[in-house]
Amino acid sequence: MDLKALKKQEHKKRVKYGYMWALFCAVLWGMWYIPGTTVWVLNPFDEMYGEIAAGSGDGMALVIVAVLITAFNALTVILALAVWNGVLGKFGEMKRTVKEFHPCSKWFFLASIFGGPMAILGSFIAMGFIGGAFAAVAALMYPVVGSILAQKWYGEKISKRAYLGIAFIILGGITIFGGGLITEIGSGNVAWIGYLGGLMAAAGWGIEGAIAGKGLDIAEPDVGLTLRFLGENIIWWILIVPALAIAGFPMFKYALLAFEPLTLLVLIFAGITFGFCYVAWYKSFPLIGVGRGQGIGNLYGLFAVIFIFLFFGDVPAWTILLGGALCLGGSSIMFSEDTGEMESLRGD
Amino acid sequence: MAGNRPVKFRILELCNSGKWNYEIVAQIQKEYPGLKGNFHRDSINFDIIELASGGMLEDIETKVDEEGIYKKGFLLHKYKLTDFGKIRASDACLMYV
Repeated sequence: MDLKALKKQEHKKRVKYGYMWALFCAVLWGMWYIPGTTVWVLNPFDEMYGEIAAGSGDGMALVIVAVLITAFNALTVILALAVWNGVLGKFGEMKRTVKEFHPCSKWFFLASIFGGPMAILGSFIAMGFIGGAFAAVAALMYPVVGSILAQKWYGEKISKRAYLGIAFIILGGITIFGGGLITEIGSGNVAWIGYLGGLMAAAGWGIEGAIAGKGLDIAEPDVGLTLRFLGENIIWWILIVPALAIAGFPMFKYALLAFEPLTLLVLIFAGITFGFCYVAWYKSFPLIGVGRGQGIGNLYGLFAVIFIFLFFGDVPAWTILLGGALCLGGSSIMFSEDTGEMESLRGD
Repeated sequence: MAGNRPVKFRILELCNSGKWNYEIVAQIQKEYPGLKGNFHRDSINFDIIELASGGMLEDIETKVDEEGIYKKGFLLHKYKLTDFGKIRASDACLMYV
């Protein structure tokens, strides 16, 4: 075979695998909203909610329970990633990367601050207060935050096409949030914290992406992700959970009660889907480019709505469907232009 | 220094003046005792692909592996550090600033 044909064949193979990884990411990410929604009605979290709500009110109870759920999510994700890194034989590389705190690993720890206490906690709050479909679709706005930050921070240019995409996504966001709000204002009962959670998810993931990119491009992604979740576990289990326990909330009492078979199973399911959706996401980037990887990955919103319908029989409000479609359309417009990486991958 | 910094840092260093992917992989496998075998060979090569797609390395030459120095019948790529790669490498405290 000649050079040209071989180049074409190599390129085709890479693109095929890249799309496969990106699609895996979307399916796994969408699936994560199933355990994420289910875990709220399981014990000990249900009981914990009742106990705290009796003393400190519903809003406070929701946030405190969401903290414990997020902390367990981080724990099962890092278990899944530890197995993954063990199988791939990457613990040696992990040790080498941790030692490079200044150039490299500090970015992962910084990313974990925005990814964990902001994005994932916000998602769980949105799932608990409003519902899985809303939480999934609200987070679709993260590329807007990410690209505005990249512009301010690294001086990355936003093209006309990207602005068009951003406009679509913002329109979608207004539909998703506004639709729910108008119905709720009509009934006089607004779940403000849930909407705040949705915004936290979008902003947190946007910021996390912009920060993590700086460290990930010079590190092994499997290792980088594990360090990012290591950081998140430190934040929850060493800082926030003990602090809340000292403040008088029954954190450890219910944390120890989480070792029930069904609850554990659901938490492990959350850890596996969430951990591997991140892994698949980062594997797709070098093969098809960050833009396409994110564009396909964003189909998670669609998968989440489908899975939630299949598992719970919930049909989301039409505003969520319309808003989600606008966000998906907008992110396709934003990301489909990004062919720079494709060119450099082709090597011509 | 060899063998105790993250693999990608070392790859960036090696590519300063342009190097073939099989040379990089062989050099890394020599320096890092834990990375022997075909699985790690492919995973080091994937690190190179990641650095190239991140814009830190640039593919300057391609040839077919006729003799099977790396993988017979597949493509070999020669990579060189880009200006962006130099900036990122100096962020990581590598030699050239």
